[in-house]
Amino acid sequence: MSVPVEIRTVRKIYPSSGGPVHAFGPVDLAIDSGRFVSLVGPSGCGKSTLLMMIAGLLDITDGEIAVAGRRVVKPLTDVGIMFQGNVLVDWRDVLGNVMLQIEMRRLRKQDYLPQALDLLASVGLKDFANRYPFELSGGMQQRAAFCRALIHDPPLILMDEPLGALDAMTREQLRTDLERLWMERRKTAVLVTHSIDEAVQLSDEVIVISPRPGVIVRRFEVDLPRPRTMEVRQSATYHRLVDEIKKIFFGYGVL
Amino acid sequence: MASIGSGGWARRWRGFAREAWLPVAFMVGLFVAWEGFVRGFDIARYILPAPSEIFAQFILRAGLLWDYTLVTGGETLAGFFVAVALGIPLSLLIAFSWILRRTFYPLAVSLEMVPKIAFAPMFVTWLGFSFVPKIIIVFMVCFFPILLNGILAFTSLSEDLLRFSRSTGAGPLTTFFKVRLPAALPQLFVGIKGAAVNATVGATVSEWVGGDAGLGYYIQIATGDLRMDIAFAIIITLAALGLALFWAVVLVERALIPWHISQRVGVQHVP
Repeated sequence: MSVPVEIRTVRKIYPSSGGPVHAFGPVDLAIDSGRFVSLVGPSGCGKSTLLMMIAGLLDITDGEIAVAGRRVVKPLTDVGIMFQGNVLVDWRDVLGNVMLQIEMRRLRKQDYLPQALDLLASVGLKDFANRYPFELSGGMQQRAAFCRALIHDPPLILMDEPLGALDAMTREQLRTDLERLWMERRKTAVLVTHSIDEAVQLSDEVIVISPRPGVIVRRFEVDLPRPRTMEVRQSATYHRLVDEIKKIFFGYGVL
Repeated sequence: MASIGSGGWARRWRGFAREAWLPVAFMVGLFVAWEGFVRGFDIARYILPAPSEIFAQFILRAGLLWDYTLVTGGETLAGFFVAVALGIPLSLLIAFSWILRRTFYPLAVSLEMVPKIAFAPMFVTWLGFSFVPKIIIVFMVCFFPILLNGILAFTSLSEDLLRFSRSTGAGPLTTFFKVRLPAALPQLFVGIKGAAVNATVGATVSEWVGGDAGLGYYIQIATGDLRMDIAFAIIITLAALGLALFWAVVLVERALIPWHISQRVGVQHVP
């Protein structure tokens, strides 16, 4: 199961000592069920703010957001969130970290243990289930965090620059993992990133957001076959898309 | 779950020996030099006793030293445990109630700046030479490090971890026991260890001000009689008492938070 997301004239205004700061919007956006959509924009454009508003973790100043047709008024629980920091807890081993999602939800542990182990195996962490986060590399920690965001089979996946803190090579590897995990599930996915390449590689649609106050500048349909192999990524269509998006940011002087 | 730092006693002992030989060698050298200096220059015992004379007092006065260790140790432990038992719940209340935080946090910080020892004569005046004023002084020197570090511990959860917790729909109690409390433990132990260091100081000074037993009382008698050999023996006993309490706390810490960065000596990193 996956769910649609509707964003209707949403704005975010922060109060501050120097008067209200218009951070974001107005933005209208409909994300169809089962699509992988990226929000790309420069730092401070409010793309993470929007993601947190979809999750019900930040107040919406005006407008409204509906997930699965229901208006978001409190934190969503039918969701898997991936953060930039991996947010694994130091005091649990990798399996324990994945199971934290289940335990926090008071679900039966026995029901999810086999899936947790399968999920870890699918990202190459089979032999690391009983290791502690500090014993793992950054990429492995982030893979474990992916598993924790997916173990309860959420219909919506929200990703806040999940690869942002990793080195370039690890990031490439994890993009492939991320695409595969998504293709196996086909849940609605919203990815916030400042990497144009990452957005084009992973998405069905790339939404370009302007500098603050962030509004939607353009939407690009990424009509390329999956998985996005090396060949796909060397195609003319791929490069034309990346170049067109880059040009927009050149125009804003952020590239 | 994998155990951390379980390396077998033999390996642990070798590790300890490798770490400890240098300070031990230094102390032995210091005592030898001290002995030589006192004997060579014929220093009077009431100025500076030789280490051999100090160690002789441990044997001559073992009974009294032990009895007084029990007295001072009892005061230390009682005050320390009351401080832990009150400090941790209070820090929790202050961390989670904005009205308590606004009211008591500035007061707690200000009181932390007051030398608590200065209250000792007052408590003796009010409560006499009993056990109670000593426990109060020990409590006061232990309480504030625990309270202030406790407040810091319970208020500094990472925002993303908090967001994760909220997205699971977990109630406040589940969030507390699964996330907040374990995340707070390392900083809580900073406070508890600080308190353990202060505790024997509080007990000693409170006995100085008004006591008829204990190592603090005894040190005053000994120095009054110019018996520096006895005084040094008492100081070493006090140091041992303080270390025993501190190491007990460290052992509890190791058992509770083996995963914390401060405990990760000698753990292999997986590339």
